[in-house]
Amino acid sequence: MSETAQDSDFLLESRGVSRDLGAWVVGIAWERGGGGACGFGLGDGTVRVARPAAAGEEWANAPAHEGGACLSLCADARGGFLSGGDDGRLVRVAADAAVEEIARPARTRWVEHVAAHESGVRAAAVGKAVHLYDANGAALKTLAHPSAVGGVCFDAKGKRVAASHYNGASLWFVGAKEDKSRVLEWKGSHAAIAVSPDGTHVVTAMQENALHGWRLADGQHMRMSGYPSKTRSLAFTARGRWLATSGADSVVIWPFHGGGPMGKAPTELAGGDGVFCTAVSCHPQHEVVAAGFADGLVLLSEIASGKVVPVAPPGRGGVSALAWNGSGTHLAFGTETGFAGMVDLSRR
Amino acid sequence: MPDTTPIPVTVLTGYLGAGKTTLLNRILSENHGKKFAVVINEFGELGVDNDLVVDADEEVFEMNNGCICCTVRGDLIRIIGGLMKRKGDLDGIIIETTGLADPAPVAQTFFVDEDVKARTRLDAIVTVVDAKNLPARLADSREAEEQIAFADIVLLNKMDLVSPDEAAEVERRIRAINPQVEIRRSTKSDVPLEAVLGRDAFNLARILEREPEFLSGDDDHEHDSEIQSLSFEAPRPIDPEKFNAWISGLLAQKGQDLLRTKGILHYRGEDRRFAFQAVHMMADGDFVGEWRDGDPRRSKIVFIGRDLNRPQLRRGFEACQVEDTAAA
Repeated sequence: MSETAQDSDFLLESRGVSRDLGAWVVGIAWERGGGGACGFGLGDGTVRVARPAAAGEEWANAPAHEGGACLSLCADARGGFLSGGDDGRLVRVAADAAVEEIARPARTRWVEHVAAHESGVRAAAVGKAVHLYDANGAALKTLAHPSAVGGVCFDAKGKRVAASHYNGASLWFVGAKEDKSRVLEWKGSHAAIAVSPDGTHVVTAMQENALHGWRLADGQHMRMSGYPSKTRSLAFTARGRWLATSGADSVVIWPFHGGGPMGKAPTELAGGDGVFCTAVSCHPQHEVVAAGFADGLVLLSEIASGKVVPVAPPGRGGVSALAWNGSGTHLAFGTETGFAGMVDLSRR
Repeated sequence: MPDTTPIPVTVLTGYLGAGKTTLLNRILSENHGKKFAVVINEFGELGVDNDLVVDADEEVFEMNNGCICCTVRGDLIRIIGGLMKRKGDLDGIIIETTGLADPAPVAQTFFVDEDVKARTRLDAIVTVVDAKNLPARLADSREAEEQIAFADIVLLNKMDLVSPDEAAEVERRIRAINPQVEIRRSTKSDVPLEAVLGRDAFNLARILEREPEFLSGDDDHEHDSEIQSLSFEAPRPIDPEKFNAWISGLLAQKGQDLLRTKGILHYRGEDRRFAFQAVHMMADGDFVGEWRDGDPRRSKIVFIGRDLNRPQLRRGFEACQVEDTAAA
């Protein structure tokens, strides 16, 4: 624990547990369904699994990618976690830390991005390809892109999968008999990607410190620029009224309602101390954003009031991953230097 | 705690069959106790089974800033980002480019991407050339010439196949393109690994540390290659404002033809040396410590590029000097 006098002001002290996991926290995901376990995918190739109900006990250690690194982690379709690694493997990690290989789509290439939907479909991006698998691990199809995929996600219904790449993004129907993508074009290199909860907008983060968005109804472009650094993390609020983003010295929130974000200025939360926001996660019900910063600070901010609640103090490495559980009672975060915390925010 | 010192990155270029793969295999198989990640292109044929060999497609991306020579390797941005997440166990990264690759996008990636810049440092561009076939390659390939122009170190390989006269002529050709380059002769890429790794050649503090062995100071030498190198000296101190205005205009206008630019400058009233380097339009500069006692405080700039106008560049550089009477 740090020696700062205000430690007790941070929720981690009063309502949380923390661990030094010893390796870069690449991704955090909470199990779907009733299990409620939280997985931390690490740069040493392991996935650590914590249970909020027994958070003080030892966190299980799953050797997901031996000798390698976990590059992407998400909640699997039906409980457990899905992890992609630089060993070319796509594995499932169960809540008890059992590891099961779903596929090894590559030998000397990496599984860089993974996504899953509760309907049972899973996606793994390897180079230019996105491989889709069903709930049993059977390969469904491989979607080809013009260049390496920078990010992949499903829409809220799991009907479409979106992949970002050089010069735009591609939108595919998972169940289509004939695979033909809708290509959303915009010059430049696109990485992190999100689809709005109502499925009407796609937004990507670009190499050039800007976001680009497409309104799917009419293909209208949205340029969201002005960031001093690259946006790595972006997330829509539960009902899709706002898009929260990292990359500035505040949490930049774009309005996706009332005609926005076109012609509207973004709202900035929790800014002012000159440290870049590195990770964001939106509460699953309320318009509250959790944000992590390059100095290790983690906080919550309510969009309507701008009110800020500190969660974890600076000093333990830049925040690299952040995630709410499905019911919004717990928040987990991790840093580049391997510090991880889990905070209980439920009413007491 | 994971280490935060930047990881050195060595870029290995060279025409097909020059001996890049032989060198890579030696680096990976020799018992040096170090751990390297090697990024190869998909046509590579590495004989060593290593956990840390990463296949990459050379994806050259244009930056969306309206400047067409501003290209980066998108795959490297992703791969370096991934490698940084491993537990701090890497001693270095080696990037092999395909034989036909232009080295500029690789080098520019280290100037452009903030994450790459923060976590790694470009150590050196090493170009492996085939002593026997280089003259033919220079005649028929723009890339072979560019690879030499960009190099910090040229490995003049297959020395067993050439006569001493042929070797001298090949070296002369290399120096005509890049007079500062360090040339190491080898057979089967057999140089000590310290000769190619850990060289710190992109460190601003070491810019122009090597005196050109063949100063192309005279206009009368023959131009047998399209790429040439010009160097200029200025005896009087440089006015930083004039220099900035001149060099930014020059790089913006002529950056496509300027492959590498390096300078050591004596700024007016400043006891520290200012070092400057650029790859095409991307520039970087900083103070790098004081002038050594007894060393003449003279500013020097070297251009390697195509279609360079010597009188114009000389006049431009000389005009950045402070007025005669105002010498510091």
